[in-house]
Amino acid sequence: MVDRKEIEHLGDLVKVDLREPEKYIKQVEQIIKYFDRLDAVEFNSDATLRNEVDAENLRDDKHEPCTISLIDHLKKDQNNFIRAPKMV
Amino acid sequence: MNLGISATEFVSQAKAGTISVEEFVAKTLDRIKLVEDKIHAFITVDYQNALAKAKEIDKKIKSKDKVGTCFGMPISIKDNICTAGIKTTCASKMLENFVAPYDATVVSRLKSEDAIIVGKVNLDEFAMGSTTEFSYFGPSRNPWNVDYVPGGSSGGSGVSVSAQECLASLGSDTGGSVRSPASFCSVVGLKPTYGLVSRYGLVSYANSIEQVGPMARTVEDVAFLLNIISGYDSHDDTTVKNEHVDYTKDITLGISGKKIGIITQMIGEGIDKEVASATNRAISKLQDLGAECVPISLDAVEHSVAAYYTIASAEASSNLSRYDNLRYGFDFGTEGYEFKAFILKARSNFGPEVVRRMLLGAYVLSAGYYGKYYLKAQKVRAMIKAQLDEAFKKVDFLVSPTMPILPYKVGEKIDDPLKMYLTDINTITANLSGIPAISVPFEISSSGLPIGVQLFANSFEEKKLLQAAYALQETTNLPEVPL
Repeated sequence: MVDRKEIEHLGDLVKVDLREPEKYIKQVEQIIKYFDRLDAVEFNSDATLRNEVDAENLRDDKHEPCTISLIDHLKKDQNNFIRAPKMV
Repeated sequence: MNLGISATEFVSQAKAGTISVEEFVAKTLDRIKLVEDKIHAFITVDYQNALAKAKEIDKKIKSKDKVGTCFGMPISIKDNICTAGIKTTCASKMLENFVAPYDATVVSRLKSEDAIIVGKVNLDEFAMGSTTEFSYFGPSRNPWNVDYVPGGSSGGSGVSVSAQECLASLGSDTGGSVRSPASFCSVVGLKPTYGLVSRYGLVSYANSIEQVGPMARTVEDVAFLLNIISGYDSHDDTTVKNEHVDYTKDITLGISGKKIGIITQMIGEGIDKEVASATNRAISKLQDLGAECVPISLDAVEHSVAAYYTIASAEASSNLSRYDNLRYGFDFGTEGYEFKAFILKARSNFGPEVVRRMLLGAYVLSAGYYGKYYLKAQKVRAMIKAQLDEAFKKVDFLVSPTMPILPYKVGEKIDDPLKMYLTDINTITANLSGIPAISVPFEISSSGLPIGVQLFANSFEEKKLLQAAYALQETTNLPEVPL
């Protein structure tokens, strides 16, 4: 059962202010109820499917200079300072 | 000038000098201007650069300089694949003005072969949806009947290829997002094996299941694009270091003597009658070509929708946490904020489907429910893979309708997310297991709407899969898009 308290808690977890929580309660509950059919699956193995990459196949951990001027993509004021909102 | 030619035909004509790239691109851009009001495939069109690049390529052809294998082919790119200098919005208000500082590997590979990116195409916000109706910029429309959805989430890709606004497109396929619009818009769409194509620069939604996939008018065109975009990329450690394969070579080999399994769970109950009978006709044609078709039961498919949406939502809720206005997002100015209010304000820019999936993801990953949902979903995934491994010991390919239903009207399912999720039943098996699958346009229904047929092969057997798809394509005779 998904109620208002639960949906608001989920909203908190994903950092979204749910302005109309009612809208989501019914839909999320209906979908979760559908997911409940996973309870009826009979598994004959505990195996899960994972994409594994061998450590030796990872690229070398070496320094490569960045060729893109990332600094150009930052929001700056006219004095070339990076501007950020004030947190209080 | 015929804009409806295949990409392969374009390349051979441009190479021979019988068409001017500039003229073709200019006509393509005119076509976009003409039809966009009706179908809304594009979010951004790069008029200036496309034409400038076309002129440059014509010059290279004339002076017999080395030209890339695309010869100025106009291509559209789904707007969740990063392109330096052109906005990448993910069809979200959250990234309305985001310009990536780099090209995705698939984009840089296309550019290095002289493909021309004409623009970025529409999708459901962050690729979450099956109809393109969840785009912040408004829905795309099906060129076969503009009252109907084009499928999704790569709807803009399907529409732009079908409506002759480009020769090919790249989409991304997390649960059928390339194959659904391919089927609904009557174009070819391939979901490659997980690890065949780099995801570097694809904005993450559900990393463990998504792949970039080519869409075009013919199977040969899709093979041609796969030649360019596939292969190991040091920026994506999930890509596999396989030997390079030429997917266009021997594509006409045929399927005589091959064995094809008909997935009984995908063609039985709940399937539209016209879709089922079209698929049966496709199966008969494959038999006429010398393939042996046998029914194959994959009972894990029945649990696939629940497993898929559990896993995709879980990964989405984690991936989308980065949109907090610190790393990506809006410019709020310098006034003072309390931290939580700041984050909430930034994240109020997500649309309803994205919020729904984040809520679902947070739910299934919650301490008390992890074992009940997420772990079981992962086990279903292993079960599907095990059943497919068994199936591929007996058959070379599997076949099903791509979509269980015909395209439906815009707005018809938008208020019933579960109903919409259930339409993905035939496509998500390939994503959960990682195997490749392709949608081939097969027929047009009595109401004038496209029907696609889906073929699957075992992992990294794209070459065989494209040969089978080509054989099926050669049995069809489809009308021009009525737009």
